[in-house]
Amino acid sequence: MATSGMRGLSTFIADIRNCQNKEAEKARVEKELANIRSKIKAAGMTGYEKKKYVWKMLYIYMLGYDVEYGQTEAIALMSAPKYAEKQVGYIVTAALLNETVQELRLVINTVRNDIISRNEIFQCLGLTFVANVGGTEFAESLAADVQQLLLSRTARPLVRKKAALCLLRLYRKNRDVINVDGWGDVLGPLLDERDIGVLTAVMSLLLALVAASPEAYLACVPKCVRLLERLTRSVDVPQEYTYYGIPSPWLQVKTMRVLQYFPALEDPGQRRGLLEVLQRVLMGTDVVKNVNKNNAAHAVLFEALALVLHMDVDRDLMTQCVALLGKFIAVREPNIRYLGLENMARLAAVADMNAAIKRHQAHIIASLKDPDISIRRRALDLLYGMCDTSNAKDIVEELLKFMASADFGLREELALKAAILAEKYAPDLGWYVDVILQLVEKAGDFVSDDIWYRVVQIVTNNDDLQAYAASKGLAYLRASAVHETMIKVGAYLLGEYGHLLARQPGSSPADIFAALHHHFHSASVPTKSLLLTAYIKLLLHAPPDPALRDQVLAVFTKYGSALDAEVQQRAVEYFALASRGPGMADIVAEMPKFPERASALEKRVVDSAGDTTEISAAARRAVDSSAVVLAPGAVPAQPGQPAPLRGPGPGAAPSAGPTAAPGRQEYVAPWAAGGAAPVANGHAPSGADLLGDLLAPDAPPAGGPPSDPLASAQGAAAAAVEPVGSVAEWFSKLCVADSGVLYEDPFLQIGVKQQYAGPQGRLLLFFGNKHTAPLTALHATISAPPGCASPPAPPPDTLPPRAQLQMAIECVCAAPFPAPASLALSYSAGVQPVAVQLHLPAVLSKFLQPVPVTADSFFAKWKQFLNPPNRIQEIVRNVKPIGLQGIAAAFIALKIGLAQGLDPNPNNLVAASSLATENNGANAVCMVRVETDPADRTQLRLTVACSNPTATQALRQIIVDAVTEPTLALPAPPPPAGNPLAGLF
Amino acid sequence: MIKAVLIINNVGKPRLTKFYEPVVPEKQRELIRTTYSILSKRADNLCSFVEDESAFGKGTKVVYRHYATLYFVFIVDNTESELGILDLIQVFVETLDRVFQHVCELDLVHNFPRANAVLDEIVMGGQVLETNSADVVKALSDMQKLDRQPSVTTIRAPGALRS
Repeated sequence: MATSGMRGLSTFIADIRNCQNKEAEKARVEKELANIRSKIKAAGMTGYEKKKYVWKMLYIYMLGYDVEYGQTEAIALMSAPKYAEKQVGYIVTAALLNETVQELRLVINTVRNDIISRNEIFQCLGLTFVANVGGTEFAESLAADVQQLLLSRTARPLVRKKAALCLLRLYRKNRDVINVDGWGDVLGPLLDERDIGVLTAVMSLLLALVAASPEAYLACVPKCVRLLERLTRSVDVPQEYTYYGIPSPWLQVKTMRVLQYFPALEDPGQRRGLLEVLQRVLMGTDVVKNVNKNNAAHAVLFEALALVLHMDVDRDLMTQCVALLGKFIAVREPNIRYLGLENMARLAAVADMNAAIKRHQAHIIASLKDPDISIRRRALDLLYGMCDTSNAKDIVEELLKFMASADFGLREELALKAAILAEKYAPDLGWYVDVILQLVEKAGDFVSDDIWYRVVQIVTNNDDLQAYAASKGLAYLRASAVHETMIKVGAYLLGEYGHLLARQPGSSPADIFAALHHHFHSASVPTKSLLLTAYIKLLLHAPPDPALRDQVLAVFTKYGSALDAEVQQRAVEYFALASRGPGMADIVAEMPKFPERASALEKRVVDSAGDTTEISAAARRAVDSSAVVLAPGAVPAQPGQPAPLRGPGPGAAPSAGPTAAPGRQEYVAPWAAGGAAPVANGHAPSGADLLGDLLAPDAPPAGGPPSDPLASAQGAAAAAVEPVGSVAEWFSKLCVADSGVLYEDPFLQIGVKQQYAGPQGRLLLFFGNKHTAPLTALHATISAPPGCASPPAPPPDTLPPRAQLQMAIECVCAAPFPAPASLALSYSAGVQPVAVQLHLPAVLSKFLQPVPVTADSFFAKWKQFLNPPNRIQEIVRNVKPIGLQGIAAAFIALKIGLAQGLDPNPNNLVAASSLATENNGANAVCMVRVETDPADRTQLRLTVACSNPTATQALRQIIVDAVTEPTLALPAPPPPAGNPLAGLF
Repeated sequence: MIKAVLIINNVGKPRLTKFYEPVVPEKQRELIRTTYSILSKRADNLCSFVEDESAFGKGTKVVYRHYATLYFVFIVDNTESELGILDLIQVFVETLDRVFQHVCELDLVHNFPRANAVLDEIVMGGQVLETNSADVVKALSDMQKLDRQPSVTTIRAPGALRS
């Protein structure tokens, strides 16, 4: 056994190992730390001693004790000329300080000196240090030097590979350290490198770069293909890089991964080359005895599979892949089985290969019972992914069976997935209800509220399901002990639909009441509230039954003095209702149907799937396409389409009027966050909170019994409907703010949230019904001035009381546009029809991006546009008294970038921005100059110059609107003679 | 990216730990503990991959191998090939074997500076740096030679100080 060569360290470690217990160890450690502290303070330690103490401390640190080392000493050591001391400095600084520590900045210079020194070992120390702990500050100061080392012709591979990884770290900290333009050309030659070590490091770097902007590195694709050919044919691969007979599996894997970021190959020659490589890998790999060889071969094989999927070219090859994966999920070797399942799930997500995958269903189901939880997880994922109408019954029933034995960590996910599949692919809804109730019975603790809310929604919306669901619920409730969730579902279903069972034997209202009330005492407060509601509904829906009435009234009387306010209120109110007799039945009428909306459950799965499939572009696309919850309009641009702003796909056809709703199906998703069901007669305190729960958090809470809705409706309807504020003011606020009110009157409020990134924008309109009656004939039509916006799918024409609905509008600025899209809104509250014309706040300035300018660049551009229509100059009067500073602030809010100090006159202001248009590279330049007169603050001279005349007009209007008093913004007459505002340009 | 490399023995004592993302010491200790408690419950015939969202976060996997008394654990994100990491663990172990001649746990305990140096030559900044054992061993011996020299200045310019 070799020793460290440091006797003191060995002794210390031996001491620690001999400690009988934790206390003894702690005592020994503390003694040592005290010793080290005293030694460090004393001057004149040799490098060897310093090193010894540092390693002791690191050992102590690894054992889990807090260690403090003098930062100053550590940093001083880093710049020591002796290697031994320097190394110690680096080690201790890297281990004990992390990148968030301010002091690390102090060492940047020291590190830089080592990196640019001619001493390889020093360079390596510096590079390793930065690669492991370097932060943002390092990126700015060191990137150029590191880059130079990587590209150096004289540096040894040992240094260059470290430089590559170091640069990768710096790039991760600050993307700007690598200038995307031209880096493809710089990187290209590095891929021709012979040394496999350097290639591996460069490929890691390329992988990170390509992930951010693939198009910049297209030139690397042929080189990657050639490299793969070289590796798979074992041409020029030194023996040391052949791992168990396989030429550098790491490099092969990395290269294949890089290729997955590029679009499928265009060049037929390259494509053939790559397909040959892949074919060779797919065919030439067998499961062998040697574990290590097996691992390496399959590492390459699985990556090749992913690449084939990504290329999505050859049907035969894809089928071969499935067959191969099918073989893998049946092998004994657990790692291969695990990855087989994982990759098959990926396949199920991106390609239409379900028929081929289904052949392996039995094996996959068997994997649910694998002794290894990792494999069970994968199997569950795959089953979820491959499920469709033809196999849903089998799969869901397997999942239910599996529930009983499943790990705790897996049960919630399992319940959620089973519930979603049961709903999505149910052959009939009765089966769906069965599944959910079984789920609640078997794993009530893991059935989230969403799941049972959903079953209630579906039963409510399907009349023929109601009696069945109620009888099923009753059957479960007859057990002596059931899960709390079962009581809730049962109470809801039986309260609503219990009376439908009257003709079945043993299901009289009295029987139902008994079955429900049996669980009352063990129930929690919210459940008790639900039960009380069920009782009153049951009582009033059923034919008069004095015995039942007495029983129910007794319960209400008893809980009329309950400690919990909610329970008490319900009991008291229901008692009053029940006392008045069957005439009150209408008040507790059945709940109305829920508005159709996408399952909140699925959204949860999509959310949680999020970034777990970061494998290939194809897989990501698959995730995206199922997650269009808020972006129904995210369709790819159609070449040649003139509209700069566009709405969602199906609704975007110009002919699609408000009534033609082909996009409805796609458009249901935004409803997930809003939309309450209308409550019968406005009186239904019962179940009101349940309704509230059913809504996503931002729906308005349903309150207690509302005041007489008729009176208020009539009162309001008598007067003409006027907005409760200034529409113009709301609009101009939204031009500079991200969210706010677009329109509000006594019945309806429209709020807006907007987000812009480059040429793209997304607006979410929230229509809120403030009224106690539904708003009908609601139409919101977005009329696009020549190519500005096109309508999304129209919202349904009724908005229930106190409900909110969302409308998402995607827009893209393809070219400068003169005015924002308008929104024609009409609806009717009671008898009064309302029609308003509004503008969407997606004005041109939302797509602006401030650009830093120098005097030279600004004036060069300014001089290009001296004449109308590109340039407009005018005197603006009636300016708000906000001063030059206020105007500057307004510009910042409008995303017009101020160019400080360019105008020598302190009363003037110049600014420049670029307009991001979708047509990349053709961004319009927008420049503005404002000249003010300190003597007269009410007027200013405005000059707008843009590379596009439409942009000039639009921007002028936006600025005028922003800086003038809202009442008057008339174009000013030509400047009078003797204008005090001096022209500068 | 490799987020962390841990070597933990059969009773849960860390023998080598390295984090490639900033992790505060308390969290480091916690991660080592959870990793050990998960892995020590897994039989040797199970697969080498573990996902646990609550312990490691989303999209993060533990790839490990169990050799005699030690667990070699790599915590990686989903840009790494799982089997590739297993290969890398094997390279790491084979290199340690070359450096220490039949490596055992005690070698790592008493020579943990060297074990650290070996890892530094194989993984850097969370990326594979070198997979060629011979190269790693050579880089190590280069460093060791330098270590024994009294002063670097004399290597670079012999005589410079004297004159």
